[in-house]
Amino acid sequence: MTSPLPAIAAHNLTLSLGSGDSAVEVLRGIDLSVPYGQTLALLGPSGSGKSSLMAVLSGLERASGGSLRVAGEDFSAMSEDALALARRGRIGVVLQAFHLLPTMTALENVMTPLELAGIPDAKARAEAELAAVGLGERLGHYPAQLSGGEQQRVAIARALAPKPALVFADEPTGNLDAATGSSVMDLLFARRAESGATLVVITHDPALAARCERIVTLADGRIASDDAA
Amino acid sequence: MTPWRTARTIARRDLSARFKGLRLLLVCLFLGVGALAAIGTLTGAIQSELASRGRTILGGDVEVAVWQRAASPAENAAFAKAGKVSGGTRLQAMARADDLAAPVELKAIDQAWPLVGQFTLQDGRSAGAPPPDTAWIAEGAAQRLGVKPGDSITIGSLPLKVGGIIASEPDRLGEGFTLGPVVIVAADVPQRAGLTAPGAMYRAKYRIAMGPGSDAQGLADRLKKQFPSSGFELRTRDNASPGAERFVSRMGDFLVLVGLAALAIAGIGIGGGVSSYLEARRGSLATLKVLGATSGDIARIYLLQVGTAALVGSAAGLVAGVLVTPLLAAALGSLLPVSPRMAFDPGALAKAALYGLLIALVFAAPPLLSARRFPAMALLRARVSPLKQSWRDAVLPVGLGMTAIAALALLTTKAKIVTAWFLGGSLALLLLLGALGWLIRWLAARLPRPKAPLLRIALANLHRPGAQTGALVTALGFGLAAFVTLAAIETSLDANIMARVPQRAPDYFVLDVPKARGAEFVAAVDKVAPSAKVRLVPALRGAILAYGPESAMTRVADMKEIPEEAWPLRGERGLTYSDEVPEGNVVTAGKWWPKTYAGEPLVSIDEKLAQALNLKIGDELTIGLLGVERTARIASLRRIDWDSMGFNYVLVFNPNAIEDAPHNLAATINLPKDTPRGDLLRSLVRAFPASSVIEVGGVLTQARDLLRQVSLAILAAASVAVLAGIAVLLGAIAAARTSRVYDNVILRVLGASRRQLLVLQLAEYALLATVLAGVALALGSGIAWLVVVKLFGFDWLPDWTEVMAVLGLGLALVIGFALAASLPLLRAKPAQALREL
Repeated sequence: MTSPLPAIAAHNLTLSLGSGDSAVEVLRGIDLSVPYGQTLALLGPSGSGKSSLMAVLSGLERASGGSLRVAGEDFSAMSEDALALARRGRIGVVLQAFHLLPTMTALENVMTPLELAGIPDAKARAEAELAAVGLGERLGHYPAQLSGGEQQRVAIARALAPKPALVFADEPTGNLDAATGSSVMDLLFARRAESGATLVVITHDPALAARCERIVTLADGRIASDDAA
Repeated sequence: MTPWRTARTIARRDLSARFKGLRLLLVCLFLGVGALAAIGTLTGAIQSELASRGRTILGGDVEVAVWQRAASPAENAAFAKAGKVSGGTRLQAMARADDLAAPVELKAIDQAWPLVGQFTLQDGRSAGAPPPDTAWIAEGAAQRLGVKPGDSITIGSLPLKVGGIIASEPDRLGEGFTLGPVVIVAADVPQRAGLTAPGAMYRAKYRIAMGPGSDAQGLADRLKKQFPSSGFELRTRDNASPGAERFVSRMGDFLVLVGLAALAIAGIGIGGGVSSYLEARRGSLATLKVLGATSGDIARIYLLQVGTAALVGSAAGLVAGVLVTPLLAAALGSLLPVSPRMAFDPGALAKAALYGLLIALVFAAPPLLSARRFPAMALLRARVSPLKQSWRDAVLPVGLGMTAIAALALLTTKAKIVTAWFLGGSLALLLLLGALGWLIRWLAARLPRPKAPLLRIALANLHRPGAQTGALVTALGFGLAAFVTLAAIETSLDANIMARVPQRAPDYFVLDVPKARGAEFVAAVDKVAPSAKVRLVPALRGAILAYGPESAMTRVADMKEIPEEAWPLRGERGLTYSDEVPEGNVVTAGKWWPKTYAGEPLVSIDEKLAQALNLKIGDELTIGLLGVERTARIASLRRIDWDSMGFNYVLVFNPNAIEDAPHNLAATINLPKDTPRGDLLRSLVRAFPASSVIEVGGVLTQARDLLRQVSLAILAAASVAVLAGIAVLLGAIAAARTSRVYDNVILRVLGASRRQLLVLQLAEYALLATVLAGVALALGSGIAWLVVVKLFGFDWLPDWTEVMAVLGLGLALVIGFALAASLPLLRAKPAQALREL
């Protein structure tokens, strides 16, 4: 997927949480441009603002200041509902704690974003996506009936099923043992390579970060280093 | 926004088939809608039974009743032309057997009776009019007189043989309220017994059976028009038992209101249940948002889920309501005018379901609308606080729901003012309880901390973040306050009937004392009970036919509907004449006529009737008296002390206006305390065989029985409020399950024994129960005092032992359920729980 415009274009992004005396500046002027198809790792210690930056870039949270264009949309001026609409089909999110819908089967979990985006053949596509992550035999299983690794694979299938232009993964191996984590990341990178989506991975793990084309390190809400710079 | 179809797919997928998480909503709606459905179905079943059996209950298609005279030849001819006729008379009389005497309703019937239905005796015989000198008597009369078939009784001056005991009298309900058991005799008996002399208080009744498809109302209208001054009281098969219908309809309306109040309590449970459900689904809510769901999608998805649960809960309530109706009918037994059959009343069920869904809307809308604002980012941050309720969003649906509930209640009742007061009062009570709940929580947070650690924790649990003290005080306080109110009202009224009424009311009412024997009557009483106080008044009956200014009189027959306050316009009323202002009355406008007055006929009327009909001094009033129209000018208005419980007349004429009409006297007798009653009764019955002596004591027993049964019916409906309150309590315990398990586990880790945890739980519920007891006692007895003292004007005489017993029973139920629901939380194993938390 190539385009003259970057997939993510952030300028002087800020994010404050709380108000008055208790306000905390989580992001303090982030400038970041990520071209389509790039894989990027966001590194940094706890509290450096990695997850908050991912939340802002993926439209889960509105920035307090600055400008942000993601996949051609101006995220900085959108309401929360508009951001939700903008995410549909364009952005996939994989979270550390999987966050599958516990009341739905693996298949239904993967079908849901397709249905919300109004994509036809949701069931067939979800089945294919689950088969692609090696869970073709576990379509009818509920999250509680799956192992941690299997749950994260369902989450990856769910994020990639609508064929998004961008995929954000927030510490996707954080809740898994080393071997399972490694196989899950192999799968994520393989599926990403097939789709050509832009991938932003938040991680503490330097080895995982090294698998990305670009590493951005955050410290205290600012970009401390960017190996593309 | 996602189409409804997709929202439905996701909602269905996410909804547990067993409604896990929404069971509190289900239970609350089940209880509330079930109660309303049962009340509505029972009322409908009784009304439909009354309607379908109208012809049998009335004993024909049309009934013509007239006081103190038989129908004229012209009237009889008109009846006969319309169909088959059965005539007879009804009057109050005394029956005697040896030394025993009892007031009875004497029903004299001709050979054509019964025109409709079947009359049977206890020995299995079907019968009609009894043979000459024979009587069919009711079981009650047989018991009071100590007689059996074959024995002899005396009515008036006529001895009669008891031919059989009545098993089933088809038109009993249509005869209305009676002051004694019935004795059925042949048509000529009253006259032969000397009971229908001119002026005697009897009523002639003619039933007309018309052909199939006949127009009963048309005949009634024709007869009214043909004989405008006759004083006819006409009823048709469609209105066979207006008193019973009115009672059932009003009782039904009132019980629906009590049920609606219970449903409002259930609504608190619904709100709490939906809040807990959405709280437990925070993760799913946020995940759906991460996946691209908008706030509108969230609202649709969860509205569909809550709506489905509400429909299922309501449907289950409707089914239970219908199925429980026969049990209710059996429990209420003799309170009901007829035994209803299994019925299905779509209107009542639709109303119950609509109330349920509207209550669900009102209480579920705030948490639903708040949930849609739940941010996707919540997945990435720690759980900090419960979902915030945003009332601004909910104002419209809550306002619409409440308006619709009020409109539905007001549009479907005839007692609109009472309903409006009840709705307003209930809303005020709920708000007051809500404020009290808040205050208690606020106070609990500011009270000095007790030294005993368990008590300290128990107190803290009343105000900790997420504590549902406010909701519990409202939900349980309402039900328990209703218990206290009902117990206090019932025992107060009962005590008034027992203690005050006998003090104020006369001991005996005597009807049909011959006018010429008034002095003899007083002497007869004086002979047996020298200190007795006797009051004699002329007693006539007549109907108001027209009223208003002389030039623009309103004919009652032309009025489409008679206003509730103008009740004296309905049928015939007691009339009297006097040259003095009656005892206990005060003239409030105009002047009383002088003792020697002999001018144009004058009348003094009740000021409330004057107000209802907009009558002024100088206006005229036309009455029908024994088939003759008489007009009198209104000379004065009176305030009547109805509490005096003696003879009180809405219309009092000057003597020369009506004294020429044949009439008898009525008497009240007040006996000094401890005067033996038996001698006086026996002596009066012997000396005045044509007069009827009614003992007030017997009437009071009837009134107390009725009061107890009505209280029981209301208490049953109010129990639903307590059950709904308990459901709210159980919901609150379930909602706080995670934090309670956490507390218990930490306390166990710190060395607390299970027994200590149990004591802690007991202390917390005991604190809550104490608070609830205080709230219920204060509010319940306050409301009861208002009703008893201010509304009914009775003395405040509650039986506190019974009130406290009822409250104690309610509290025991609450604590029992609360402990039973909490015990499983005490069993949590620390190590396992810590791994899972």
